[in-house]
Amino acid sequence: MCSLGFSQSTTSFKQANELYNTGYYQEAIDRYNSILGANQHSAELYFNLANCYYKLNEIGPSIFYYEKALQLSPDDTDILNNLGYAQKMTIDTVLEVPENGISKFINKTLNSLSVDGWATRSVGLVFLFVILFLGYYLSRSESKKRLFFVSSSIVFIVLLTSLGLLFKKERLDATTHPAIIFAKESEVRSEPNLGSETSFTLHEGTKVLIVETYNSDWSKIKLRNGETGWVSTVDLKPL
Amino acid sequence: MKLKIFLLTFFMSGILSAQVTFEAKVSKKQLGINERLRVDFTMNKDGDDFEPPSFENFTVVGGPSQSISNSWVNGVRSFSKSYSFFLAPKKRGKFTIGQATIEIDGETYKTLPINITVSSAIDKPKDPSDPNYIASENIHLVAEVSNSNPYLNEAITVVYKLYVAHGTGVRNWREIDSPRYSDFWSQAIDVKGFDAKEGTYKGEDYRYVILRKTVLYPQKTGKLNIEPLSLDVTVEVPSNRRDVFGRSFMSTVNRRVSAGNRTINVKPLPENGKPDDFSGAVGAFDFKISTNKQTLKATEALELEVKVSGKGNLKLFQLPKLVLPSALEVYEPEHSENVRVRGLGMQGSISDTYTVVPNYQGSYPIPNVSFSYFDTKTKRYKTLTSERLIIDVNEGPLSVSGANNNTTGAVKANVISRNQNQFSAFKTTTSFKSITSKPFFNSTLFWILLLAPFLLIPLVVLVVRKRMIRALDVTGNKIRKTNRLARKYLGEAKKSLGKKEQFYNALERALHNYLKSKLRLETSEFNKEKIEELLGNKNVSTATLDGFISLLTACELARYTPLSAVDMRNDYDKAAFVINALDKQLN
Repeated sequence: MCSLGFSQSTTSFKQANELYNTGYYQEAIDRYNSILGANQHSAELYFNLANCYYKLNEIGPSIFYYEKALQLSPDDTDILNNLGYAQKMTIDTVLEVPENGISKFINKTLNSLSVDGWATRSVGLVFLFVILFLGYYLSRSESKKRLFFVSSSIVFIVLLTSLGLLFKKERLDATTHPAIIFAKESEVRSEPNLGSETSFTLHEGTKVLIVETYNSDWSKIKLRNGETGWVSTVDLKPL
Repeated sequence: MKLKIFLLTFFMSGILSAQVTFEAKVSKKQLGINERLRVDFTMNKDGDDFEPPSFENFTVVGGPSQSISNSWVNGVRSFSKSYSFFLAPKKRGKFTIGQATIEIDGETYKTLPINITVSSAIDKPKDPSDPNYIASENIHLVAEVSNSNPYLNEAITVVYKLYVAHGTGVRNWREIDSPRYSDFWSQAIDVKGFDAKEGTYKGEDYRYVILRKTVLYPQKTGKLNIEPLSLDVTVEVPSNRRDVFGRSFMSTVNRRVSAGNRTINVKPLPENGKPDDFSGAVGAFDFKISTNKQTLKATEALELEVKVSGKGNLKLFQLPKLVLPSALEVYEPEHSENVRVRGLGMQGSISDTYTVVPNYQGSYPIPNVSFSYFDTKTKRYKTLTSERLIIDVNEGPLSVSGANNNTTGAVKANVISRNQNQFSAFKTTTSFKSITSKPFFNSTLFWILLLAPFLLIPLVVLVVRKRMIRALDVTGNKIRKTNRLARKYLGEAKKSLGKKEQFYNALERALHNYLKSKLRLETSEFNKEKIEELLGNKNVSTATLDGFISLLTACELARYTPLSAVDMRNDYDKAAFVINALDKQLN
């Protein structure tokens, strides 16, 4: 049953690619969406979908799907590259607060794998560690024992780091809800009502973090430079 | 009351004009109860027996006074004689001044009756012969407003007209007080030359001059006051004195006139359907965004023009701001206005020109910009949206990093390498996962895979340790070894303990098997003599050899002799012992 669904999706994917390649971007989008409708996804699917929107100059959906693709495969250079193209079309420039070297390195490492990626890596490291440790325990000669001991210690440290990153990443994912601005223009207000003052205006395609929501109509957002404010929830699409 | 009656009498003989006229003239037909009225009965031929009307409802406060004028113009004599009365009304109402009679050349002439309306008291009783009064009656400054109930920011024009009655003249004027249209945006329109035109003022014929035209755009709602314009006018007013030719002397009077206060009720623009981006434009407009090029190379300049043209308050609103992708370098726009102010308001166009320099390759959509205005004709808001423009930058660096790459080192011609920063095409293959698939993290499988390998360590440690202990225990080892050998070769025999035939068959086979495996014997070569010889060669002790042989003999004998279970047991133990001993010696 499942494999049947997958093969059907693969056919749809190929057809959509054909449409994309001949320039029928809207039709291709419909076809790609039908795969999503069948409850299946992949980084490549999101990537192609984002490319379609990029070709149609629809900034918001384009960036949204590139980010979706990145969630599934955070290291893909093609996705990062095309996301860069799409971001060139955005109007807002959110300057990031410069991080110091260590936290930048940590964040970069943290975001290089998804939660499941870190989980898989940790499991792999556990096996490696156990094998090396047993090798140390069972080997007779002095030099072999030393070699096994050193390597297993290194693997153990790496394993602990990996586990730490796994839990940190999990917590990070659970607390931060990134979203993309879909409205052409969205006013960020100081309070969650229409009467309050407009702090600044955001435009389509800007990535924000949803901090909290109020009455489901208003979302408190945070920008990468630390600015916060309330935005009408309809202007956003959470990733 | 100061009355001057001039009598000018020329005693001259001549031919009277043939037509006899006798008429009554009143200085005004409408007057306040506190005003006075002058009635003249004029005739062009002298007569007798003048009889004035009764003047009921009026009090005669002056007169009758007689005046005669006699003039010769080009040999034609003109004569006029008049009786003047000054009357004050007794009460309000409509009255009739009755007929006066006179007898001229034996015939009786009558004047026509005149209707007079007496209204309530007016502020200041006017002396009809005071030049100032005459001037005030004959000079009027009027402010005409094209629309006294406009919308906010809808153009209205105020025209100041100076009405001058026939018979009076204006020598010059000076502005005393110019209105400051404080709640309006105003622009004066030059009036070229002061052409006198014919017009009517309150139903009477006047000449008028347009002094000033101003276009106003109200900037506030509610009742707004247009301050009056005040002029000091030098007016020539005919006096009662006449020159030798009978023309009135003109007396010059300085008179201040001002156009009264005008109140304009400015309506606010309707809130209903007001677009969010409405910036106050009122009128009829056209909106356009244009660019001078759509495809260009990076670092070339491009001009984007945001233009609003049409009629309306062009100078009074902000053009919508252009928001451009952040990757484009945009300079402050240059604002230009090409607006003429005509009688009906501003007309023309205003535009903002942005200079845009793209630094990197790519396609940049210029988001569509909307411009809203209030249409005064349809009284509705209209929103115009510019067409979406897309700027293609097809040559130049690709991104910040790309730009750096280009600057490093000399570029070799025709180096074929994939540009890392090109827009990547679609991906052709994929493997789908279910969106709703459960995350691996925190699943039971994850925890098992994460923790189970650690259990392996104590397990292995335990096994190894047990093996070491066993290796140290010597006697135990011996027993275990015998047991193991016995298990290996005597297993079948042990199972059939008690069943005589089966047991000895199995025992014999076991002994043979043992030797076969130990000495690599073939079954055909198997007999007691051969075994003795082989085992002897292997230096097996005679005791063990005898034991082995005796066992084989027992196996043969057992087929023909009855044996008890105890014997079988003994034979089994013996076999185990012998095999063990043999094993040790054969090694």
